[in-house]
Amino acid sequence: MILSPAVIALVGGAVVGAALVGGAALQGAIILRGWDPKSGSERQVELERRTALVSTLVELALGFQLLALFLFVYTADALAPQFTGAMCAAGSLKADPHGYPALLLMLAAAIAAGLWLLVDGADGLGHDYPLLRAKYLMLLGLAPLVVAAAWWEVAWFRGLHPEVITSCCGSLFSRTGRGVGAELAALPPRLAGALLFGAVGGAVLAALGFRRSGKGALLLAALSAAALVASLAGMVAFVSPYVYELPTHHCPFCLLQREYHFIGYPLYATLLGGSVAGMGVGLLSLLGGAESLVTALPSRQRRLAGLAALLLGSFAALVAWAVLTSGLRG
Amino acid sequence: MSALIEARELRRVFHQGRSDQVEAVKGVSLSIAAGQVTVLRGPSGSGKTSLLALLGAMARPTSGRIFLGERELTSLPERFLTEERRRTFGFVFQQFNLVPGLSARENVMLPALPLGHPRAGLARRAGALLERFGVAHRAAARADRLSGGEAQRVAIARALINEPAVIIADEPTANLDSVLSGVFMELVGTLRASGKTIIVASHDPLVYESPLVDRVISMRDGRLEEPAP
Repeated sequence: MILSPAVIALVGGAVVGAALVGGAALQGAIILRGWDPKSGSERQVELERRTALVSTLVELALGFQLLALFLFVYTADALAPQFTGAMCAAGSLKADPHGYPALLLMLAAAIAAGLWLLVDGADGLGHDYPLLRAKYLMLLGLAPLVVAAAWWEVAWFRGLHPEVITSCCGSLFSRTGRGVGAELAALPPRLAGALLFGAVGGAVLAALGFRRSGKGALLLAALSAAALVASLAGMVAFVSPYVYELPTHHCPFCLLQREYHFIGYPLYATLLGGSVAGMGVGLLSLLGGAESLVTALPSRQRRLAGLAALLLGSFAALVAWAVLTSGLRG
Repeated sequence: MSALIEARELRRVFHQGRSDQVEAVKGVSLSIAAGQVTVLRGPSGSGKTSLLALLGAMARPTSGRIFLGERELTSLPERFLTEERRRTFGFVFQQFNLVPGLSARENVMLPALPLGHPRAGLARRAGALLERFGVAHRAAARADRLSGGEAQRVAIARALINEPAVIIADEPTANLDSVLSGVFMELVGTLRASGKTIIVASHDPLVYESPLVDRVISMRDGRLEEPAP
């Protein structure tokens, strides 16, 4: 295990976060089993108090989960010089078999955490805990994901040894290589670009349409999910070569480095934030039929749709700027 | 008279599960009618202040429910409970609890500041309330320079700044002589005439024997001595 302040923070955060979310899920199960809003029993009053505490703890833990994803990638990138063959986070993650599964689990946990926080926030808009059951059922599903992400993350850090020889991003994300990275790199760039702009543009239009009319929440959610998938693939097949000004370089991690002005951070942050906001609008329309949310939820959803449009629009603008200003374009 | 506040089987336990556990309120059920003056009477330690805190949504019960009209208060999340408390209740405390460094006017404005009203309008409203209770000439005086009677009237003005439907007063005459206690009861009469619901906890005969009082509820050892209506 290589110890650095970032590694210690991530390991500590993962362990504490997993313990908090795991414990909160147990409390959630207790609340779900005993919840009886009509009763004024001591038990019910205690559960009402407990749910406020549990929500606060989970909000903190999941808020950290969102930040941890970026710190994790940053740390993986910063550790690259320790390993022979690694040029960026791509190589560091390959230095131990737990690396890529940890990243994927953390990405999935961050998306799920974002959606849970939106549901939790919407629950707080009603005076009678309108989304309490949905919120804790979601937490029961989310907790294993957070625990698994923490487990794989710690396992990856534990498995890192400086003498390991790993692969560089050039071979992992090469058109002629093998694996998911190579397959993504081999996608036709024009098609990948068209899919990226098509899906993101569709999601932005759906978000603006929902903001104006309050209709099409599920369409917005589906297009936001599609935009996330298409854009992640597009970052490898289409965006990266333009940023590096090198048609054969498809690494999605080098974008995070200083040489490229850390452009990866705003790209990934706007993409992830916009997609989660868009998906959240659809999720809330599925869950939010309670009477106490009738007035408050639609305006929350419209604000979220506006946020989705703003973030995904910013993402598309950044991608367009990277492509249009690239020396590769000529 | 319709019930404005209805309490059902309220219990309030302090230090629950510890050796020094105290059950201050033991299964109290009662209704408070709108527009009336209700006095909770009883010796020290009888649970008056604890019950008052529960009825005014300043504390949550260990069990039981409180309804404000149709709306159930005790299960409300904190944000909603705070809004309801600010909108519905005005409080007068035994020690008045004025903030010493602030002027009388600023003290009166204090509970309305979180609601985001323009300060100029609030200052005018505070001035009008101080005028109403005969302490307008002391508006600029620091709270710690006010006499007992002045401080009490400023505290009542403060309780009214958000135009609450219910005024809750905990032992409001405990620190006053009989003349000032009489003045307090005159103010209670004024508030009652303006349609306010007033709940007072007191063991002062000047209060509970006043003809202005519509109902006296006696408490002992955390229970009502009068059967619940």
